[in-house]
Amino acid sequence: MATVQTQTATHQALDLYACHECDLLIRLPDQYDARKKLVCPRCHHTITSGHRNPIDSVIALSVTGIIVLLIAGSFPFLSFATQGQSRTITLFQASTELYLQGFDLLALLVFCFIVSLPFLYLFLLLAILVPIKFNWRRSQPIFMGRLISFLLPWSMSEVFLIGVLVALIKVVAMADIVLGVSFWAYVCFAPIFTYVVSVVDVHRLWHWIEHGR
Amino acid sequence: MAADKSLRQFPPNSAASHALASCPLCHKVNSVHRKSCSRCGARLHLRTPNSVQVTLSFVLTALLLYIPANIFPIMSTELLGDDSPSTIVGGVVLFLEHGSYFVALVIFTASVIIPVAKILAIFWLCHATTRKTPLRHYELTRLYRLTEFVGKWSMIDVFVVAILVALIQVQGLMAIHPGIAANAFAGVVILTMIGAQQFDVRLIWDKQRLP
Repeated sequence: MATVQTQTATHQALDLYACHECDLLIRLPDQYDARKKLVCPRCHHTITSGHRNPIDSVIALSVTGIIVLLIAGSFPFLSFATQGQSRTITLFQASTELYLQGFDLLALLVFCFIVSLPFLYLFLLLAILVPIKFNWRRSQPIFMGRLISFLLPWSMSEVFLIGVLVALIKVVAMADIVLGVSFWAYVCFAPIFTYVVSVVDVHRLWHWIEHGR
Repeated sequence: MAADKSLRQFPPNSAASHALASCPLCHKVNSVHRKSCSRCGARLHLRTPNSVQVTLSFVLTALLLYIPANIFPIMSTELLGDDSPSTIVGGVVLFLEHGSYFVALVIFTASVIIPVAKILAIFWLCHATTRKTPLRHYELTRLYRLTEFVGKWSMIDVFVVAILVALIQVQGLMAIHPGIAANAFAGVVILTMIGAQQFDVRLIWDKQRLP
């Protein structure tokens, strides 16, 4: 019982951490160091990945990602031509066409998974990180942090990219396909987004929110 | 300190046995006596409440939905007014006949192997937490990680349908329409993802104190 008491008394200490996957109580290094990768000694769960300059990288890549996504939204995505007839679609038509055919819910899900949730994720990251970077008024953006955690599993840009490639292989034999600017923009966007997600882990994100650096 | 007695059921090196609860959202360590996390305000629990039951209910629903996802057409190809619906497995067979083995493999993996393997893996994990015998903690944890990682990749098939439906709409010549199975299949993917999220891996590590 005595040990429980002492641990309860010291639980405010910042360096205590419970592994999220095996609940092993760990003492983290005293100084937060973004460059150090931290791994649970028992189940090898990655607590945080090491990165030399996470704040600058994430800001830069988020801005890039948003620009590239805007490009992907405003140019033709794919063109399809067969027997003298052709059709050009935009990225959004992957969702709106489902809506027109009466699959409203699916259309909404596709739109969220491939465009709006990744966009919102990057936007929220910027909203958290830009004030930190330029030392603006510091309030803890807790709501944004919670929102980000809820969005993350549902952002599927990389899955969509593979889906597009599979669909292309399917139709490339029966018609002429032209890859539009928007397609290439999305090809750039998916890896950028995936990389940003891999840098911003839960431990790092909440350290930023709590300590503002 | 009546609560402390129940904490003894946890292994001695776990945070739970030290009366500490890890926040499910931001992973901050809090005292068990708190209702919500001191950092992000999320509700605190030592372990996700009724984790196994909630997970099983989601995965069972997904399993049921997987039946219509396979027997109804996921899309239908209209060629010169002729409608030919195709199911998920039918699409794979079509690719095999055309000789595109690679695409057939990708589709088959994403829409058959992954969802089925995922459902089986979650069942196995749920079963493992209720077994009396000692567990292979590390292997089961890795199985869980794989299940979580692989989750959204099954969405490929739905995205393929979305792109084909949008792209192939040539008036009077050829058109592709989505089928009901696309809805069902998206449901399967979403439900298994939620099911995997609800499963608390720490339950596996809680069992290590058995003699």
